[in-house]
Amino acid sequence: MQAPFLVPVLLRFPGSSARQDSWGRLLKITAGGGEISTAARLAKGEIVFLQFDLGGERMRMTARVYFAYDDADGRRVAAVRWNDMVERRRLARALVDVLARA
Amino acid sequence: MAVIGLLAKEAADRELLGLMLGELGHSAEGAGRLDEALEFARERKTRAFLLVDGGGADAEILTRELLRAFPLLPVLVAMKVRDASRAVALMRVGALEVVAPPWTPEDLKISVSKGLRFSGTVITVESAAPLSRSPVWYVLAVALFLAAGLGVASLKRVERNRAALAARTDRWELPVRHPAGLAFDGKSLWLVEWFTQSFYALSTIDTNVQLVRHLTAETPVAAAFTGEALWTVSADGTVIRRMRDDNMTPLTRYPKAAPNSAGLAFDGLYLWTLDARAKVLRKHLVDRELSTITVYKWRGVKAAGLLFDGRTLWTLDAADRRLLRHNLEHPEDIVEAVALPEYAEGAYQLVGAAWDGSRFWTVGEATNGKDPARLVRHKREAL
Repeated sequence: MQAPFLVPVLLRFPGSSARQDSWGRLLKITAGGGEISTAARLAKGEIVFLQFDLGGERMRMTARVYFAYDDADGRRVAAVRWNDMVERRRLARALVDVLARA
Repeated sequence: MAVIGLLAKEAADRELLGLMLGELGHSAEGAGRLDEALEFARERKTRAFLLVDGGGADAEILTRELLRAFPLLPVLVAMKVRDASRAVALMRVGALEVVAPPWTPEDLKISVSKGLRFSGTVITVESAAPLSRSPVWYVLAVALFLAAGLGVASLKRVERNRAALAARTDRWELPVRHPAGLAFDGKSLWLVEWFTQSFYALSTIDTNVQLVRHLTAETPVAAAFTGEALWTVSADGTVIRRMRDDNMTPLTRYPKAAPNSAGLAFDGLYLWTLDARAKVLRKHLVDRELSTITVYKWRGVKAAGLLFDGRTLWTLDAADRRLLRHNLEHPEDIVEAVALPEYAEGAYQLVGAAWDGSRFWTVGEATNGKDPARLVRHKREAL
């Protein structure tokens, strides 16, 4: 299913990377990972903490970037995989709930 | 070119953003207050609205009010102070794009472009499929797959060939007639020939003669290799320790140490000799006298060879045409006897045996005394 809007997402980084918080949009959400469009220069292998709302629940996911490129507009698109299995299961439940209501 | 409404409380911001939008080829119309912006949107049919957050204006409220009047109008926000949480909050109330300070034409261009072509998030429970990748990636992936396939096929073929080789018994006719023993030095087989008093190094692949050494001073009947030395036994029972050089230079002689020798083996600590006439196995300490520590009775019929395979001792019984495996702690006990059907017809008499690390080799002398000697590599399953 395609939502009528792009889900906003807050991006935070590990303290060791000394990077400012940033923001972006989730182009895709699945139980295993997602795709983010953001102005932040995400790189492959980077760990990023994502915070977004889905189905009335606030998700806080730790993710690893496994693929990143610049789209036609020059905006960074990063494919991420969720690292935390507990949060992943919680997200899967939320996704099933959202899809059941669609 | 799109008409874009601009709502900023401060005139300087309106001017700066207006110039930037103009550079991008858009027509920007500025407003300082919400009612002006709404009026402007009604009159000019704007494609999008750019709001400034900060400087006395709350873009969250303005976004909400604008979208209330024009729900399908893309709203972009330019922040005067960078705040990620604030940016996400603005997007939650409906802002499609939030531009961080300092504002640049590049950032603005990307945000406007995205704002005018927005879509929704794809939501699915399936795991993320790999993103579209370059053709080179796919070519490399296919090449890697094919290489892996070929590698597996190649490994299987090598394994098949190895199994076929292990299950096969090979025989070769040798260019000598009177072999006396066989030894393995880690690379080649060494054939001891008493008639010409020579050593022949043979390839384990095709048994071609690689090297010949003549020892005219003695008549060698058996040999064994250790890490640094070559041990030989002469027909008179003299054991000689030699250097492993080109001349097989003698280092130490032990006269009459191994009378009637049918074989010689080194187990890493002790030297073993097999006396064919007395039918005994002798265990020697490698000291100045090559002292005999223990003598064990050998229970075969006609002793023809002795070898150590890394774990235990084996002797060759020429009369029964079989290899006998001994308990290393109690060598008088035979724990296994393996028949050698290759010698069943009686045309060859066993005279020596060796172990190359994976297979047994035996050598036989023609019983008629005329035919060339025969070398046999035995199949692994039989032994």
